[in-house]
Amino acid sequence: MANPASGAIARQRSIRGQVAIVGAGRSDVGRVPDKSVMALASQAAKAALADAGIERSQIDGVLTSSAFAAPFHRFSVAFSEYFGVVPTFSNTLQVSGATAATMFNIAAAAIAGGLAENVLVLGADSLLTGLSPDLALRSMTESRDQQYEMPFGIPVANTFAMTAHRHMKEFGTTAEQFAKVAVIHREHAMRTPGAQMTTPITVDDVLNSGWVTTPYHKLDCSLISDGAVAFVVSAADRVGACKAKPIYILGGGECYTHEHIFLMPSLTTTGAVQSSAKAYAMAGCSPKDIDVAGVYDCFTGTVIMMLEDLGFCPKGEGGRFVDDRQITYGGSIPCNTHGGLLSYAHPGMPGSLLHFLEVVQQLRGECGQRQVTGAELGLVHSLGAGFATQATTILGTEATL
Amino acid sequence: MRRIEAKEAHIKPLPTPDLDSQAYWQGLKDGRLLLQHCTDCGHVQFYQQAICRQCGSETLEHRAASGRGIVHSFSVVHRAPGPAFKQDTPYAVLLVELAEGPRMISSLVGGDPMAVQFDMAVELVCETISDQVVLPRFKPTRR
Repeated sequence: MANPASGAIARQRSIRGQVAIVGAGRSDVGRVPDKSVMALASQAAKAALADAGIERSQIDGVLTSSAFAAPFHRFSVAFSEYFGVVPTFSNTLQVSGATAATMFNIAAAAIAGGLAENVLVLGADSLLTGLSPDLALRSMTESRDQQYEMPFGIPVANTFAMTAHRHMKEFGTTAEQFAKVAVIHREHAMRTPGAQMTTPITVDDVLNSGWVTTPYHKLDCSLISDGAVAFVVSAADRVGACKAKPIYILGGGECYTHEHIFLMPSLTTTGAVQSSAKAYAMAGCSPKDIDVAGVYDCFTGTVIMMLEDLGFCPKGEGGRFVDDRQITYGGSIPCNTHGGLLSYAHPGMPGSLLHFLEVVQQLRGECGQRQVTGAELGLVHSLGAGFATQATTILGTEATL
Repeated sequence: MRRIEAKEAHIKPLPTPDLDSQAYWQGLKDGRLLLQHCTDCGHVQFYQQAICRQCGSETLEHRAASGRGIVHSFSVVHRAPGPAFKQDTPYAVLLVELAEGPRMISSLVGGDPMAVQFDMAVELVCETISDQVVLPRFKPTRR
């Protein structure tokens, strides 16, 4: 039965400002041959706890992604055992690249609902040294459907490539504009300690780096890395107990438009439109209010499409927007100031958590020569599986509450 | 999550029909690409399932597609996803829009992968892979 009051009540339900990221840390990232996935995970978790200034025993919730190189069915449970914690709330989440953001959404909802007080959000994998390159690639293909996609030799890269290709046809986006995304990400990585790729590159270098899957060249594609990232998420009224500057979750939105690439409603407009609209509405802000962003950059064209769907520029203008250097310092929305998946590191599921780490550190004002001056409001957009999974998170300092 | 073992990576993944898709894979063995037509709302869908994705109806009919379509998008693979596809590169993965409306993933046969263009007309080729499996591929054709 429709209850006239239920809509009003539903509108009041929100995670806005209810929880904060009170601790953040990472393991060694890049090529880390001497550490297992669990060792990387522990290193990141210890760093996040130390950052928050809380004890291991205070963690009562553990949310993780899964790991290709440590294929536990219940990674969050296996990690809890390894790390020596006994959570009373835990799950291992899997919506590909969007998993990062969904962990924060679920942590926030769990804390708001009284299921946990201090949730450890964690992603770890060892794609570079824990798997041979062939197996790492094959692992990526295995995520496509075994009946209708895999038999045709379709890597995940290929699904993203087909969307970018169509974007070129519909909007005149060029290979040079894609390449510019890679060039700017490399510039950013050169300022970031620990980045995997720090040699400067040009548009020509990208165009001459050899085809992977058209229209993408090698340097249009993100890296393969090892690494782990962890956060402590706590109730907003408990942040005083932690030593780090709290960064609040102001809005979260997700959208899942399809599973198979052939059922994607439009190849050039994605579910990021819906996920970001929901996040902006919850946060009570608009794209022009965002000071710094982490935008999932598994491929160069992905960034261009997301700049449009997240509302940073009009549909079809993403290529020109990048050409005008609007995604770096001095532009309208500095993105992936750490260098992103393209040049900092891409350890799989933890990759998008590195975007969260960078935006949190930007909002805390801890980024040194990478600092975006006066950053108070940040956005992270995670996605995966050929744009099948989309999640937008808006983060802010205490001043934005 | 399942781990891919080294020797497994050298074998091409082949489809295993399920309870929803047996008619589809059998149809290909008979040289026909079957689409599902909803007798309640008229929706035409690829792939085969127990309910209409548009209206939820369970009254669906298999009808053979014309086999004609156009290339909605494509990507030519130069770096194979694993050793099983290495000898095939470069090959063109196609997102084909069938004349009946639905789109599907396939790959090009009988043409230069680097000559594929948007909206290019293509036609179904049923390619026998094994006793059990016939895959739907597409070749360039005149409109």
